[in-house]
Amino acid sequence: MYSTSEASPRTKQVRQLDRVIIRFAGDSGDGMQLTGDRFTQESAAFGNDLVTLPNFPAEIRAPQGTIPGVSSFQVHFADHDILTAGDSPDVLVAMNPAALKANLSDLAKGAAIIVDTHDFTGRNLTKAGYATSPLDDGSLDEYDLHRVDLTGMTVEAVKEFGLSRKDAARAKNMFALGLLSWMYGRPTENTVEFLSRKFAKVPDIRDANITAFKMGWNFGETTETFIVQYEVKPAAMAPGTYRNITGNLALAYGLVAASVQSGLPIFLGSYPITPASDILHELSKHKGFGITTFQAEDEIAGVGAAIGASFAGQLGVTTTSGPGVALKGEAIGLAVMTELPLLVVNVQRGGPSTGLPTKTEQSDLLQAMFGRNGEAPVPIVAPQSPGDCFNAALEAVRIAVTYRTPVMLLSDGYLANGSEPWQVPDVAELPVIEPNFATGPNSTSTAADGTTTEVFLPYKRDEATLARPWAIPGTAGLEHRIGGLEKGAEHGNISYDPANHDLMVRTRQAKIDRIADSLPPLEVDDPSGAAKVLVLGWGSTYGPIGAGVRRVRKAGYNVAQTHLRHLNPFPKDLGDILARYDKVLVPEMNLGQLSMLLRAKYLVDAIGYNQVRGLPLKAAELAEAISELVRSAEGKCLP
Amino acid sequence: MTQISSTDLGLPGLRSGLDGVPSSGEKQTGKDFTSDQEVRWCPGCGDYAVLKAVQNFLPELGIRRENVVFISGIGCSSRFPYYLDTYGMHSIHGRAPSIATGLATAREDLSVFVVTGDGDALSIGGNHLIHALRRNVNMTVLLFNNRIYGLTKGQYSPTSEVGKVTKSTPVGSLDHPFNPVSLALGAEGAFVARTIDSDRKHLTSVLSAAAAHRGTSFVEIYQNCPIFNDGAFDAIKNPDTKADAIIPLVHGAPITFGKDKVTGKPTKGLIRNMDTGAIEVLDLGPAADQYAKDLLLVHDAHNPDPSTAFAISRLTDSGYLNQTPIGIFRQVERPAYDDQARDQIRTASQAATGAPTDRLSYLINGGDTWTVV
Amino acid sequence: MTYVIAQSCVDVKDKACVDECPVDCIYEGKRMLYIHPDECVDCGACEPVCPVEAVFYEDDVPEELVHCVEINASFFTELGSPGGAAKIDTSQRDAPVLERVHP
Ligand SMILES: Cc1ncc(C[n+]2csc(CCOP(=O)(O)OP(=O)(O)O)c2C)c(N)n1
Ligand code: SF4
Ligand code: SF4
Ligand code: SF4
Ligand SMILES: [Mg+2]
Repeated sequence: MYSTSEASPRTKQVRQLDRVIIRFAGDSGDGMQLTGDRFTQESAAFGNDLVTLPNFPAEIRAPQGTIPGVSSFQVHFADHDILTAGDSPDVLVAMNPAALKANLSDLAKGAAIIVDTHDFTGRNLTKAGYATSPLDDGSLDEYDLHRVDLTGMTVEAVKEFGLSRKDAARAKNMFALGLLSWMYGRPTENTVEFLSRKFAKVPDIRDANITAFKMGWNFGETTETFIVQYEVKPAAMAPGTYRNITGNLALAYGLVAASVQSGLPIFLGSYPITPASDILHELSKHKGFGITTFQAEDEIAGVGAAIGASFAGQLGVTTTSGPGVALKGEAIGLAVMTELPLLVVNVQRGGPSTGLPTKTEQSDLLQAMFGRNGEAPVPIVAPQSPGDCFNAALEAVRIAVTYRTPVMLLSDGYLANGSEPWQVPDVAELPVIEPNFATGPNSTSTAADGTTTEVFLPYKRDEATLARPWAIPGTAGLEHRIGGLEKGAEHGNISYDPANHDLMVRTRQAKIDRIADSLPPLEVDDPSGAAKVLVLGWGSTYGPIGAGVRRVRKAGYNVAQTHLRHLNPFPKDLGDILARYDKVLVPEMNLGQLSMLLRAKYLVDAIGYNQVRGLPLKAAELAEAISELVRSAEGKCLP
Repeated sequence: MTQISSTDLGLPGLRSGLDGVPSSGEKQTGKDFTSDQEVRWCPGCGDYAVLKAVQNFLPELGIRRENVVFISGIGCSSRFPYYLDTYGMHSIHGRAPSIATGLATAREDLSVFVVTGDGDALSIGGNHLIHALRRNVNMTVLLFNNRIYGLTKGQYSPTSEVGKVTKSTPVGSLDHPFNPVSLALGAEGAFVARTIDSDRKHLTSVLSAAAAHRGTSFVEIYQNCPIFNDGAFDAIKNPDTKADAIIPLVHGAPITFGKDKVTGKPTKGLIRNMDTGAIEVLDLGPAADQYAKDLLLVHDAHNPDPSTAFAISRLTDSGYLNQTPIGIFRQVERPAYDDQARDQIRTASQAATGAPTDRLSYLINGGDTWTVV
Repeated sequence: MTYVIAQSCVDVKDKACVDECPVDCIYEGKRMLYIHPDECVDCGACEPVCPVEAVFYEDDVPEELVHCVEINASFFTELGSPGGAAKIDTSQRDAPVLERVHP
C-alpha cells in the first residue's frame, strides 16, 4: 500500500484465518494502549467482530523496563461473532525483555513473538530478571520468533524530522502498528487521520509518527522476515451502524440517554478512583445535556451531593469502585430510608482494600447486596459486555426512578476498559422513563368535627410499585421532612413504634421484590433441550461463559446457559429454571458470591467455578470444567 | 445579566443569597413555618431559643416556604428540620454540607440551610465543612456549638476545653479544641460569624445577614446544653460578667468592650501591636484619652485579607469561655460554586442546538462508526 | 404557644423558675412572676422546678386557670418586649387585674 513503487509485485503468500489474538506489550511509556486501540479501530472499520482486553500497571510510572511497569493490550478479532478477548495470544509483540517475560507464560507453543531487539540490552535483561538473553539461549525455540530492530528502524526512518533521539524512538509503537497492520491487511486511512488530528499542534511529531507507521507497513511488505500475510474476513453482523466502544464510555452514554429519556438532569457526585474515573471524565464533557459533574472531597460527599440533588428533583448518580462503595454505605442506607432515586455505579476491581486497582474482579456482589447496616435492600443490575453497559445504565435508572430507590450498577474493570463493536441504538426506540413528580395532595384527613382537608402523605405508596411520591422542594403545599430515622407509614413522621418498624422494614423489602414484576423472563439458551447442566453467570463473565459453552457443544455435549442481569431481585422464573437442571455451574471471578445467594434462596446445589486472578475467565479452561460436569451429570465416565 | 463566557470566572456583580428564590407575595408569620411535630429537646436546651428565633426570622426573608430547605446531620440540634414546615432532611452524621451542596447546586430557586453540631460539623463532618466553605456553595450553615456531644449523652467534643471530664474522659480530655471561627476563616470562609442562642436580637440580625450573603455563610451559635455542659457560656450570659466577656464586632465601629460601673463606657478595646502585628486588648481605663481611642482597631468585616479577622478570632478563650468576640468576623464577596456550575451548564446548553434526542443520537453515533447493510 | 405562670405563684415568688430560663423571659412583678409570651421559647425548663406547680404550658392550663394566660400577657402590654428581665426592673408593678384586686 505504501510501497514506494506501485509496480512492485506481491510475492508474499496470503493465508486465511478465522480469528487472531494479538497482544501488544511494552513499557507503560511505550504507548501500547494507543497502539492496541488503533489496531482495534482499524479492525472494527474493516468489519471484524472483536473484543479487547487492556491490562495496565497500577503505578502510572513504575520503573522503566521492569515487570511491574509492563502495559499490554490484547485484541481478538474474527470473521465470526466472538465473545471474549481470547485466552492465549497467537501473536505477542514485546517491546522489551520485561514485556516478553511478563507475557510469555500466556502463549501456546508455536505462537508468534515479535521482539524489538534494540531493547534487549544487558541492562534491560537484568531489570526483567533474565540471566541470559532469551533471544540467544534457545528458550524461545518452540515459538515463531521474529527479531526486529523496531527502535533502530524507526529512528532511521524519522531522521529527516530532526527530533531528539528520544522523541524519534518514541514513534516505534507506530512502526510496530504499521507492521502488524500490514500483516493482517488492516485499513490504514483512519490511523493516518487520527495521528494528524492528535498531533496537529506538533507537526514534527505528527510527521514522525505517520512516517514510522508507513515505514512499518513497508517493512512488512519488503522484508524477508515476514513471508506470510494473513486475512481475517469481515464478520457477518446484523445491519446497522456500529462503533467500537468501551464499557465506561457506553455506561456514560447510557446515563446521558437516561437523562434525555427521563427529562431529569443528571447530577454526578464522584471522587476519582480507578477504574471508574473515566465515567466522571466523560460526563463532565456533556454539560450541554444539563449534566452537572461534581468532583467531591471524598466518596461520601460524592454520594451525599447526589442524594441532595435527587431530593431536589434531579437524577443523583455516584460512580466509584469497591473501596468507594465501602465509604458510601451509610449514605446509600439513607437513600434506602428516604426512598429517593439514586444510582450507584461500582466499577469493580480486585480487592480487598486497595487490592488490584487496575485488574478486574466480581467480588463486590455481596457488598452490593448486604454492605449496609440494617435491612437495606438495594436492587442490583449488572451489564454483561462493554456495549451492554449502555442498556444496563438505562435499566438501572428506570428502576431507581420508578421505585424511588438507590440502585447498584455493578460493572467491572474488564468491561470498563475492554471494548467491542457496539450497534448504535436508534434513540426513538429507547425506553421512556417517567419521573412522575408529586404535584398535589394525595389524601384527605378528617378532623374531629367531620371537616376534611386535603393533605400530602410523603410515604403513601403506589399500589402497583409500592413506590412513594417524589415531591420536590418548590412544590407548594407538599412541604415535608424526610431523614434516616424510621418513618411512620404514610405520614412519614418519625416513628419508634415497634409494629410500624416491622411494617416499614417489610414494606421496603416488598417494594424491591416488586421490581421482579417488571422484569422480562430469563432467556435460557438450551438448543437441544436435552441439557442436564445449566451454566449460570452474571456480569462480565458472559463472554467467557458463552465461548466455553460453544466449545463444549462443539465437542458434542449438551449444556444450557443463562445469564443474570438482575441480581436483586432475581427474575421470577429463576427458581423454576434452576429446578429444571440436574446440575448448575456458576462461574464467577470471586469465591462464590452468586453461588451463595442462589443456595440461600433456592436451596440449589450450585457448583462454583471460581477464579480471582484479576483477569477474565479463560474460555478453554472453563469449557474443560463444564465438560467434566456434563460428563458426570450424564453418567459418562471420564475419557 | 451579561453573558458570561465559560472561562470567565469573574464576579457577576453583587448578588444576594436569596436571588433566584421566588418571593412569597403575601405576608407570612412564624406560625406558617412551624410544623405539627412536638419539639423534643431537654427542658431549658438552647436549641429552643434558636428554633424560635429561626421560626420568626424566616417569614422576614419574604420567600416562599416551599422554597426553603433545611438539611441537618445527626445530633440533638439536627432534629431542627422536623420542627419547621419547610422541606427538610435529617440526614446522616456529618454529611449535611455535602447533601446541601448537591441540593443547592441543582436548584438556584431554593434557600438552603444546614443545621449541624460541634461534633457533627467538626469531627465526623470536618472534611465536608471545610470543602463547603472553600467552594462557597450558596447556603447558610448554622453550627450549634454546645462544646459537647449531646445526643450520645455527654462525651467531650472537638470544641470542649482541654481537661474536660466526661464519660469518655474521666480524668480529663487531652486534645486541644478547634476554634470554629478560626477554622472557617482558614477554610476560605467568605461569611463567618458567631452569635449566642439566648440573644434573639443578635442571632436574628446575624442570620439575616447570613441568608442575604451569596455563598456559604457560616454561623457559629453558642448553645447551652443544660444537661451535659451546663454553664459553659455563663460568663457571656451572666449580666454581671457579660460586658467583659463579649467582644462585640460591628462593621465600621472601633472594637471596644467592658462597661464602666459608673459611666457605663467601655473599659477595653482592641489595638494592633505595631511591633508584633498582633491584635491585643488595651485597657482604656475610666479616663481613656483620645490618643488611646485613636489607636482602637476599627472592625472591617469586608477586608479581603482575612488575617485581621483571624487574629480577632484568636481572642476566644480555648478553655473556659471568659472572653470571646461575637458578631460578623468576615463578609466578603466571592463567586459561589453553584452559580458558576450552573453558568457552565447554561453556556453549554445554549450552545447546543436541536432536540435532546437528536443530540443524543448525534453523540452516540460519534467516533469512528461503520455501517453494515 | 408559650408557658404561663398561674396564680399559685402569688406571694410565693421563690424565683426558682427564673434561674432555669435560658432566655431570661420570666419577669418579676410585685406579687407574682410573669412569662413573656413572645420571648418564651417553650423550652419547658421552668415548669418542673416550681415548688407550687404554678407553671403550665399554655395548652395544659387547667380550665379554672385559663384567665392566667391573659394575665401573663397583660403584664407586658405597656412594657412591650424588653428582651430580658435583667435589663429592666419590673418588681414594683403587676398585671392590671392584680393591681385592681390588691391595690
Ligand atoms: C456514623 C455515626 N457515628 C456515630 C453516631 C452517634 N452520634 C450521634 S450524634 C453524635 C454527636 C453529636 O454531637 P454534636 O454534633 O455536637 O450534636 P449535639 O447533640 O451536641 O447537638 C454522635 C457521636 C452516629 N449517629 N452516626
Ligand atoms: S442533651 Fe443538651 S443539647 Fe441535647 S437536647 Fe438535651 S439539653 Fe439540648
Ligand atoms: S418557681 Fe413557681 S412559685 Fe417560684 S417564682 Fe417561679 S412560678 Fe413563682
Ligand atoms: S418555657 Fe423556657 S423559655 Fe419559656 S419561660 Fe419557661 S424557661 Fe423560659
Ligand atoms: Mg454538640
